[in-house]
Amino acid sequence: MLTTFVLIAAIVIGLYMAWNIGANDVANAMGTSVGSGALTLKQAVILAGIFEFSGAFFVGGHVAETIRKGIVDIDVLRASSPIREPAPATAPGRSSSRPAEESGEVRPPATRPAAWALRDPLRVKLVMGMLAALLAAALWLNVATFFGQPVSTTHAIVGAVVGFAVMAAGLDTVVWSKMGKIAASWVVSPVVGATLAFAIYRLIQRHVLRHRHPVFMAKRAIPLCFGSVACILGLSILYKVLHVGRGTFYIALPLAMVFGMAVGLVARAVLLRRTAALRYRRKDRYTVVEKWFGRIQPITACYMAFAHGANDVANAIGPLAGVFHFARGGEIGSKAPVPLWLLAMGGVGIVVGLATYGYKVMRAIGKRITEITPTRGFAAEFGTASTVLVCSLMGLPISTTLVLVGAVMGVGLARGFAAIDMKVIRRIFASWLITIPASAIFAAVLYKILMSFV
Amino acid sequence: MSMLDRVSIFGRSPFGPLAEHARKVHECVSMIPPVAEAILAGDTEKISHLQHEISKTEYEADLLKDQVRQNLPKRYFLPVRREEVAGFLSEMDKIADAAEDFAVTATLRKLDLPEELHREFLDLVAKVLQVSESLLSVAEHLAELQKECFVGAEADDVLAKIQQICHMEWESDKLNRRIARHAYGMLDLDPVKLMLLERLCRALSRLADHAENVGKNLRLMITRK
Repeated sequence: MLTTFVLIAAIVIGLYMAWNIGANDVANAMGTSVGSGALTLKQAVILAGIFEFSGAFFVGGHVAETIRKGIVDIDVLRASSPIREPAPATAPGRSSSRPAEESGEVRPPATRPAAWALRDPLRVKLVMGMLAALLAAALWLNVATFFGQPVSTTHAIVGAVVGFAVMAAGLDTVVWSKMGKIAASWVVSPVVGATLAFAIYRLIQRHVLRHRHPVFMAKRAIPLCFGSVACILGLSILYKVLHVGRGTFYIALPLAMVFGMAVGLVARAVLLRRTAALRYRRKDRYTVVEKWFGRIQPITACYMAFAHGANDVANAIGPLAGVFHFARGGEIGSKAPVPLWLLAMGGVGIVVGLATYGYKVMRAIGKRITEITPTRGFAAEFGTASTVLVCSLMGLPISTTLVLVGAVMGVGLARGFAAIDMKVIRRIFASWLITIPASAIFAAVLYKILMSFV
Repeated sequence: MSMLDRVSIFGRSPFGPLAEHARKVHECVSMIPPVAEAILAGDTEKISHLQHEISKTEYEADLLKDQVRQNLPKRYFLPVRREEVAGFLSEMDKIADAAEDFAVTATLRKLDLPEELHREFLDLVAKVLQVSESLLSVAEHLAELQKECFVGAEADDVLAKIQQICHMEWESDKLNRRIARHAYGMLDLDPVKLMLLERLCRALSRLADHAENVGKNLRLMITRK
């Protein structure tokens, strides 16, 4: 009974988190494309849906794993659990008796082994803790939204997991080495995003805008941009799909490069044919360049959506996966990956959020951002998406929004924007700083409350 | 959640309003040739009418200037230095002041300039107007320049134009000198008239000087980094 209740509650809150991510954050990726008219609202929603889902499905597991079991030190938690039944990890018969668990097969949760699982205090702590973390993050998101503060789901969920862990068994429960890495990535990722965006924008400036014949150079640069995005996307999907062990990367890389080159060549052919008869006045040449760069916007937006899905699906699915794993009697110390069906569910949640509410945010943003011209948009989004994707592959939960802010600053450093309001930037950074302790406290309190029911 | 949803990280661009201010300033300057003609024709009524016009326009330019300054808080991260923008504005402002000064001086007393000086005086006025016109065409490109990040062929064009402005300023100085020599050489010229003429010419040359400063300021904005 308790197990069923917990599982249903976890699914509902997890889906709510996913919905939130889809409703609010996806718009960051697609807003500029909609604003510039490169995509209609409907196209943007469909494309974002496809790429968010594939990002979540193909690459989302790494970060989800970090949140599920990278932050909490289970050994410390086990040592602190007073009534100790034989830990399932050490019981040889049990893990072999439930192989179906690991392969992610759905089972009615109220079956005997699962019901048994929640009698183990360690599991109870883990399950309730993850549930409390989810609930705390969702609550904090709503509180912050109510006060009109921008807030990152990533920081909320990581803070919440830390909060429950500390409450459960003291400061040692948190794997601080891992937390240190995550915290460092929060500082480093916006800087990397800024550097990348700066470098890309400088390259565009030097080789296209400042060139004697910008339009001619744009004809060369645009297929290159198409190709590189296609190559990276291809690589991250192939890497996951092929999955032939150690050498996967070396098989996937040439394939992805061939794919990228093919896309680049097609883009080049299309571009040359479309522009063969193009005549323009000399003073319009930058407008022409920007217009053509506008054609890349959809593909960089898709790249952003993919990277975002890959990183942020974990905010909803990571704790949910933890709840499922522990409540249904999965081996505690196991290396089993996050089940794909959970990732798919998170992806669906994001897409639903996008379709039910996200399009409104997208429309509002698109109207507001006139500053971001296609060349600037490309630099900022490419820098952001690449940073986020690399962090996702490394299993580091980072905030896409913060990286995007960093990337915008990078373009600004290359003199790309007329005026960036530093006060707002500071506010964004301050709000994520507050988010961590706030959601941690929420989670700790909720954990205590939940544990009092058990 | 989404930060772009709730807050905009972009502030108001100062470059559009800067160009608008420059246009207002040029409006003042473009009223100088009619004043000069009225001086030569001895039409005091027209002079005082034009002087009011210039003063009004100068006041409007001041309002615009204050607006730009107010919308330039320290927290904005700009592609140019704040001091450069402020310097640009204050030099522009001094151009309008000089134009007003010229008109006010013309109202002080009816000035019957000897015929021999007419040609040279009008030449100087025309040259100064030319300087201001070039400056306006440069300043109007500011917003455009910002969109292209101060690089590219457009920036090169503007830099070349600034060079031209500097050259024209030098030419206007030469014209000024020639008038002074000519006027001081006329022994029968009334000293008060001479003084007024001197003041008019000085206003014009100051105007050209400040125009050159604006150009130099703009050059600093463009060539930074």
